[in-house]
Amino acid sequence: MADTLDSRRLPDQGPSTPRLSRRAFLVSMCAAGAVFGFPRAGLAAMNPQAADGQPLEAAGQRFEPTLWYWIDTEGRVNVNVIRAEMGQHVGTAIARILADELGARWEDVHIEHVDSDPKWGTMVTGGSWSVWQSWPVYRQAGAAGRLALAEKAAALWGVKASAVTVADGRVRAGGRDIGFGELVRRGLDRQFSEDELKELPLKPHDQLTLLGRDLKALDIDTKTNGQAIYGIDAHREGMVHAVPILPPTRYDCAITAIDDSAAKDIKGYRQTLKLDDPSGTAPGWAMVIADSHWAARQAAGRIQVSYQTGDATRVNEAEIQAENRRLADDADAGSILDTGDSGDVDAVFKGAADTFQADYTTQTVLHFQLEPVNALVFRNDDGVWEVHTGNQWQSLCLPWLQKALGVDEDQVVMRTYLLGGGFGRRLNGDYAIPAALASKALDGRPVKMILTRADDSHFDSVRPPTLSRLRMAFDADKRVVGMDSAVVSGWPTKVMMPAFMPKGVNGEPYDPFSSDGIDHWYGVGAQRARAISNELAEHTFRPGWLRSVSPGWTNFAVESFMDEAARHIGQDPLRFRLDHFKAEGRNAGQAPNSVGGARRQAAVLERVAALSGYGRDDLPADSAIGIATTYGQSRSMPTWVGGAVHLSVDRDSGRVDVHKIWLVVDCGTVVDPNGARAQVEGSALWGLSMALYEGTEFKNGRVADTNLDRYAPLRMMDTPEIEIELVDSTEVPVGLGEPGTTVVAPAIANALHAAVGVRLRHLPITPAAVREALRRAES
Amino acid sequence: MIECTINGETVRLDADPDMPLLWALRDLAGLTGTKFGCGIGLCGACTVHVGGNATRSCITPLKDVAGAAITTIEGLDADGEHPLQQTWRALQVPQCGYCQSGQIMQAAALLKDMPNPSDDDIDAVMTGNLCRCMTYPRIRGAIRDAAAAMKEASAHG
Amino acid sequence: MIKRIFLALLLLAVVVAVAFTVYAWHSELPAMAASDRPDFDAATVEKGRVLAAAGYCATCHTAEGGEPYAGNYPVVSDFGTIYASNITPDPDTGIGDWSPAAFRRAMHEGVDREGRHLFPAFPYDHFTKLSDQDADALYAYLMSEVAPVNQRTRESTLPFPLNLRFLQAGWKLLFVDFGRYQPDPDRDDAWNRGAYLAEGISHCGACHTPRNALGAEDQGQRYQGAVIDSWTAPALTSRNPSAMRWTAADLSGYLKHGADAYHGIAAGPMGPVVHAGIAELPDRDLHALGVYFASIARDGDSGPLPEPDSSPAQASVAAGKPDPAWRLDDGERLYATACASCHYNDSADNLKATRPDLGINSATRLDDPANLIHVILDGVPADEGSQGVVMPAFRSALDDRQIAAIAAYLRASRTDLPAWPDLPERVGELRAHAGTH
Repeated sequence: MADTLDSRRLPDQGPSTPRLSRRAFLVSMCAAGAVFGFPRAGLAAMNPQAADGQPLEAAGQRFEPTLWYWIDTEGRVNVNVIRAEMGQHVGTAIARILADELGARWEDVHIEHVDSDPKWGTMVTGGSWSVWQSWPVYRQAGAAGRLALAEKAAALWGVKASAVTVADGRVRAGGRDIGFGELVRRGLDRQFSEDELKELPLKPHDQLTLLGRDLKALDIDTKTNGQAIYGIDAHREGMVHAVPILPPTRYDCAITAIDDSAAKDIKGYRQTLKLDDPSGTAPGWAMVIADSHWAARQAAGRIQVSYQTGDATRVNEAEIQAENRRLADDADAGSILDTGDSGDVDAVFKGAADTFQADYTTQTVLHFQLEPVNALVFRNDDGVWEVHTGNQWQSLCLPWLQKALGVDEDQVVMRTYLLGGGFGRRLNGDYAIPAALASKALDGRPVKMILTRADDSHFDSVRPPTLSRLRMAFDADKRVVGMDSAVVSGWPTKVMMPAFMPKGVNGEPYDPFSSDGIDHWYGVGAQRARAISNELAEHTFRPGWLRSVSPGWTNFAVESFMDEAARHIGQDPLRFRLDHFKAEGRNAGQAPNSVGGARRQAAVLERVAALSGYGRDDLPADSAIGIATTYGQSRSMPTWVGGAVHLSVDRDSGRVDVHKIWLVVDCGTVVDPNGARAQVEGSALWGLSMALYEGTEFKNGRVADTNLDRYAPLRMMDTPEIEIELVDSTEVPVGLGEPGTTVVAPAIANALHAAVGVRLRHLPITPAAVREALRRAES
Repeated sequence: MIECTINGETVRLDADPDMPLLWALRDLAGLTGTKFGCGIGLCGACTVHVGGNATRSCITPLKDVAGAAITTIEGLDADGEHPLQQTWRALQVPQCGYCQSGQIMQAAALLKDMPNPSDDDIDAVMTGNLCRCMTYPRIRGAIRDAAAAMKEASAHG
Repeated sequence: MIKRIFLALLLLAVVVAVAFTVYAWHSELPAMAASDRPDFDAATVEKGRVLAAAGYCATCHTAEGGEPYAGNYPVVSDFGTIYASNITPDPDTGIGDWSPAAFRRAMHEGVDREGRHLFPAFPYDHFTKLSDQDADALYAYLMSEVAPVNQRTRESTLPFPLNLRFLQAGWKLLFVDFGRYQPDPDRDDAWNRGAYLAEGISHCGACHTPRNALGAEDQGQRYQGAVIDSWTAPALTSRNPSAMRWTAADLSGYLKHGADAYHGIAAGPMGPVVHAGIAELPDRDLHALGVYFASIARDGDSGPLPEPDSSPAQASVAAGKPDPAWRLDDGERLYATACASCHYNDSADNLKATRPDLGINSATRLDDPANLIHVILDGVPADEGSQGVVMPAFRSALDDRQIAAIAAYLRASRTDLPAWPDLPERVGELRAHAGTH
């Protein structure tokens, strides 16, 4: 993620993971897979179009204009994808960008999800960054191939390269015409330096023919016939099966005794390993080894493990939230984000004619990706440890694996599989460690570990309990003169990748993924935004990145608060918001990513208000339309979103019935319209699910609800009508996997208030909470 | 030894009679298209057909299917061209795809029993199948389209 | 005077004792070597095979995992456990040295070849109705088609004095009405044929008629329903709890297929009764059973049939439609995610036995929730209910409170019957109960 991200926010990870932008894009990479004793490419990569995941084999020699693809003598274009496929059809989107610039025929395009060879640079799939980051890189790569093909043909025909056109997989000049494959067969070895690549002319937007077209994603077919291969399907000859026994809490537990006497008569049971984890990722784990998953599961149920436990067993959700409040009260706590030179916040509040303050909280949320975490690990014939699993952030996990296995970086490789749901769970590859440790204990024998659903939940890196406290100051004319915000939670980035934390203006580091959203695009005068980490949470469990990360809760706070503040001073919430979107100063936006700034956010809000009929007064009693607007994931790559929700409330039960959701999204250029809609639909429904249905709590240091009998995400029966409008734009394409999530909860809270006059400031909004709020409002 | 048929082939499985059908299919028969999701019959990812009826294989003991005919996603249609598979592709329903085998198998059983399902029928029958990517709107659409296509085909057939 | 009275009483006692002894005593019948057995024609053997099925003899005479008819199947009762006899043609441990007469006597009088009384776990109180020809056909089948197995039958665990076989004679005297089936001249042939099968070989009352304190069928409550192995064998009279009236066609279909769209499936102890047994009968016999039980269901009323009424099915289907408030009640939420995919129905005109509608299903409507809970806990294997179709087992998936919530939800939303009391406790009991299923 490092190359195109703002380096202020995301520092380099160091020499072990070179930044893409510093790489030379060398050509003619031959047999690169063999360099570190890595398995043959055929075993180390994955092609989601093929039944067995086997990558395409080149016919004849292959031309590799850059690291990112090759073309063979049949003219087939095989695109190397370093992003994980978890439902976003990322390979298709990336291949489309490349093929468009190259001038390839879409039917010739294939994709390959590559292994974790260091040559690929940092490997991460998250933050809705994939398309945004790939856009410049793969366009340059496509342009390089296009130029090389044109030059070759020009030389062949004795014409100027500028007279040659490249389109639909063919190169033409005058009346002559030759295919990519034929040119490759005649020998092509053009090389490009990084500087050359940067100078390559790119096609103007209107010559991009694949862009914005509806193409069928390349990973769809195998997902309809059972042939798609996920991590859980990984297989290795001679493998044993493993099911872990997890300690009572994430940390501070040590095994004191293992009694497996009751399991010994289970057919296929082998042994129970007490794992010793030098990486500290999975302390206190025991691993049951058997000939089949079922035998291991049964044995695990009969084995008694005793532990020495720590303080975390006494921590409940209430204590974590109390700590959140204590930290918010402490004016000295946390990191202060850069919100520009906006004035003395304390002085403004002191002199204010009126102030308004509210706290917003969210409960613990599970990822509950449908494929429970799993990994297959073994040491191959070359002595290299192979880790076969679905993972979103190989570059984060590899150093842990090295430490756990006690080997150097060239001794571990991760093979990419399809992910049965990512949603941020598999950014944290902690689950690969215990499988590796088990294989290590068995001298490199293949170990296939699958967690039960309950253990997957128990081991989850959850969206932590959060608190957002917002204050606004008004002058005597009810004008907004200041805003003071604090957001508190456990910080995943601090726990897992502290080097990724930028420093705030007070020199303290902060986790952008636990604070993005609080530094909104409203002009509010003197502004302060604090991000505070809750160490009690961090010592009780490992906080995680969960779809939409902090914008999923900060926007619930900010956008509920904007409604409340407007009503507080007697203004219309829509008007109030629009009045404070001023594209000036730091809210004017910056090229290339945030061009237009607050103006674009105002535009999507106005559009969704019009589209939804916000403000209409002909709705039945106890029903209303509520609005909200967000900018997706961060100020550095805003996806402008306007959302509206039509709902009704059953006063007797407190049940909220969502009838329709509208979303207007400005994500710059839409690369894949169908995929874009799919992502917006899915992310909006995630938002709905977390707003109304999803939430568990910590009890004695572990989550209370670990399976669907108690944890109840959105189902088809709950699914309302969704209307999506994508803004037509030629700006830089930004992310779409998460922004839809962020507007739904505040739009619901605002609609709920409009419908029945009560304000709910905690997620999820349960019928009991609504009932209680109504009861209090009546008395 | 438990004998049954899987995708039309007679198989004899030497396994614990209490082993859930899911693990027998995945680990013994090598049919990995059927997925493990929750293990308690509440997500539908493990749905197969037993005797033509949608069945959660994760909580069905192997001994209970002795003598029965089992169909998995791999056997729903030899060429992967069941009308539902066609509409699933046309509408690009799958995202991560993990639940989709179960969704398609459940939907196929739905259309067998209710060839002209209303949206209520689809909602009621499909609510047992969790899709964490939340592809529900497209699943609904693909079922409607497949029902229409099958009706069309039988009218002309 | 007192002395005379005493003497008279003593004399009476002696007379009764002698009379009882005479009554109770049966001679040993001569053994018959296999070589001396008569020849059996194929038609008789086939008739015997079907009758053995209709009496589901193999179900009780075969231990789990054991050889067919080799006995030792445990019949658990309040009095102790009795092990079913080996009835293979093995001469040492089976009935290989029995003559047709000995076999007929066992069926009709409950006495073995050696003259010992059989325990009434063997339903000779029903088999006494069997014609001589049918008893002989059974004999022919067992002797010619069943492989001899040398396996000694285990001793019962009945306590003294219940283990004294000659006392069984007293039980017979009190409770058994010996004699072949006598047709009712007021009824038609089908009815009489059904009655002959039901009362005789298929011994339906053994499960569906309540028993008295001494374990005999209470003839005052014929077919009023009983508990068998913690399952309810529902009443077959007008007290049957079905929402939809049983017709003769429903009944014969149910006995043929093990399932009926309007009532439910043959699960638990009834599973093998149908699939390992009665379903083998030819259609005309199944029809006869249907006619007979349709008459029982109307308590014998032979007046004109009431108009069919589908309103209960319609009400049940309507109650199952998607409910936006489905998450409020735990039972409804679990039903919607765990059960509705297979039990939801779009229309009362499209009910299918393989999609049992739980609002009209007997299991939801019985006074005791046991049948419903059993099926939720342990599912229905492919060889019970609708053949080849299974219901998964939620034993390891849901806890007592959750299963109770589903049962309570169904009872409340689909029926107008009173709520079942103490449901979570009942689930706990049945979960712990190691029954035949």
